[in-house]
Amino acid sequence: MSRPRRDPRAEREAKTVAVTARRRLDLAAFVSPSRRPRRDPRAELDVIEVFGAPRRRYDRTQTTALVSRMMKRAATQDAEPKAPQVRIVETPAFHVFAVLQTPKGRLSRFDRQILGAARMLADAGSGGGAVVALASAATADLGPAGADRILDLGDEPNRPASLRTEGVKAAVEQLQPKHILLAEDDESADLARRLAVTLGEPIMTDAVYLSAKQVARRKNGMRAEEYGEPPRIITLGEDRAANYSGAPCEARAIEDAPALDLNDPAILSVETIPGDPTQLSLSETDFVVSAGNGVTDIEVFKNLAKVMTATPGASRVICDAGLMPRSAQVGASGTVLSSECYLAFGIAGAPQHLQGIAGCDHVIAVNTDLHAKMVERSGLAIIQDAQLVMPALWQLIEERRGKA
Amino acid sequence: MKTAVLLSTSRHPVSGRPALARLESQAIGLATRLGGEIVGIHAGERTDATREALGVGLTSVECLEMPADADPVPALIERLQAEKFDLVLAGRRGQGGLDTGLVPYLIAKALDRPIIADAAAIEAGSEAGTIRVDQALKKGARRRITVRLPAIVTVHSLAPAPAVFAYGASRRGEIRSLAVAEHAQDAATWAERPYRNRPRLMRTAGVATGDASEKLHVQPDPQEAAKLILDYLERNGIRSF
Ligand SMILES: Cc1cc2nc3c(=O)[nH]c(=O)nc-3n(C[C@H](O)[C@H](O)[C@H](O)COP(=O)(O)OP(=O)(O)OC[C@H]3O[C@@H](n4cnc5c(N)ncnc54)[C@H](O)[C@@H]3O)c2cc1C
Ligand SMILES: Nc1ncnc2c1ncn2[C@@H]1O[C@H](COP(=O)(O)O)[C@@H](O)[C@H]1O
Repeated sequence: MSRPRRDPRAEREAKTVAVTARRRLDLAAFVSPSRRPRRDPRAELDVIEVFGAPRRRYDRTQTTALVSRMMKRAATQDAEPKAPQVRIVETPAFHVFAVLQTPKGRLSRFDRQILGAARMLADAGSGGGAVVALASAATADLGPAGADRILDLGDEPNRPASLRTEGVKAAVEQLQPKHILLAEDDESADLARRLAVTLGEPIMTDAVYLSAKQVARRKNGMRAEEYGEPPRIITLGEDRAANYSGAPCEARAIEDAPALDLNDPAILSVETIPGDPTQLSLSETDFVVSAGNGVTDIEVFKNLAKVMTATPGASRVICDAGLMPRSAQVGASGTVLSSECYLAFGIAGAPQHLQGIAGCDHVIAVNTDLHAKMVERSGLAIIQDAQLVMPALWQLIEERRGKA
Repeated sequence: MKTAVLLSTSRHPVSGRPALARLESQAIGLATRLGGEIVGIHAGERTDATREALGVGLTSVECLEMPADADPVPALIERLQAEKFDLVLAGRRGQGGLDTGLVPYLIAKALDRPIIADAAAIEAGSEAGTIRVDQALKKGARRRITVRLPAIVTVHSLAPAPAVFAYGASRRGEIRSLAVAEHAQDAATWAERPYRNRPRLMRTAGVATGDASEKLHVQPDPQEAAKLILDYLERNGIRSF
């Protein structure tokens, strides 16, 4: 790998103390060959120590985040405070479109991957490309996720896909992007194919590998692979590209977005019917409320899941006891979730259970045991009896609903 | 109403033998529910899979005979132009072939018909000559689109399960072979090589925001705990009450 090569002469030069005519070296001075600040394990532990616990406890879940924060703090203590560096591409050499889905007005994991892949294509070679995110201008975090520009085509949920395609086509004619990246995911996948057919261009669908030089996909039921230079239109499979993690980009809105006012004569009406999470299967839902062995009043729990419009789940113990159906079991031998949020009441967090929630972005744990694995995994941990928290939660929701 | 169901050259995902694609058998189910005259159209070689389609609800299949590696799109377009179908149903992706999902879109472009993707249910519309398509979206949502016929609809895997295979019906059904004109083959856009496993990126937990003191609450009042949970849900855009 590319660890910087040590240069003994330069190191000696750096350690030279200019006092006498004779050369003197301060051998205690530490010069990091990589110019990275040296780690201080004791200080790192101090930072992640959880206060108020009867015995020493460390919160190791965020170690990397905290350590990097600490190291940054140490670095800025010496230097004068700097404003966060924003990457600005003033006159882009070319454009790369990233068509985003932004469910509920937020970037999903897939959206971030699409932006990451677009960023990679824009920076490849001599670079200088600009990533244009096709999304609502109100979406948060587009800059940090790698977007230089935002093009808001004003899509509403009820706009037919044929008209949405016309919007993107107009944008393509205006900015002539080098690549258009879309997610291989229901509506985006539909849009990509419409775009390829209207523009009459080749498309690489469901790419499993993407670099600036090559893109590949599977065919013949995973018996062969097709590959070639990345074409203009590419749809990327989920978990195939890494997020962008560099300096935040500018995310400047493009003002002169093409305005379109068309209608599709064949489409008579469009109406979106939201799904009911309480009826969905565990693998489809976005929010799961789950009960473990620490929950004794299952009826309260089931009602709470309904009130929170969440899908009820359970640990294996509860399913084995026949308190919840087997289809509700979360974990290795149950369902592996793809939901965004997981609220666990009285679940210890056995490895077989944690496997099922590996993909959840937000985990909330309610448990009486401070040292439970689930508490370690969670982004919000409440050390309290689940039998007290559940009715309180229910009551608070009813109160807020009553007011609204 | 006249419906055509497009049957691709598909293979069983595990054994690799020719088999009817599940999405296409679901499409046959949707067409049967709508009623009217239904014909299966398959461009390619005649295989056991063609007969399988007769066992899950079709009574006749037209087979546009051509070599397995020829492009089926021109032949399909020609056939669909020659005979007037009100509704053309296709799977959203093939199974065991190229699986790009482009075939229905190319046909829609050539015939200049609207195309609706990812149908989970199809009903006759309140007006004559219209249908109501329930498009499957993420998280159990549906988009109900009323569209004027003729139209092309692709079927999503959340459509009702296909009918049980009936051996007698599959023997009784009729397969008609139609000759097709030769079409020039486009040069292949992509090079080919043997399959290589490419693992997905690991899914790791999202970045939990905030310091340890913000995320851990020891023995809070239950009301306070409830408030903390609801605030967390609202802050992260999960639910707001
Ligand atoms: C091959 C194999 C496969 C498995 N697959 C799965 C699987 O798919 N899914 C699965 O879930 N398990 C699975 N298991 C079982 C798993 O190992 C654990 O036994 C199980 O997950 C434990 O469930 P639990 O956390 O609900 O119960 P426990 O381990 O009993 O934990 C109960 C938790 O509740 C807390 N608690 C107690 N009282 C209260 C209270 N009043 N308020 C709040 N908290 C309280 C306790 O502190 C404890 O942390 C599998 C096991 C094996 C061997
Ligand atoms: N050779 C073919 N003959 C008839 N229909 C086809 C053929 N190839 C594809 N289709 C239809 O197009 C859909 C999508 O296929 P594909 O574009 O190959 O992913 C399939 O589910 C079929 O309904």
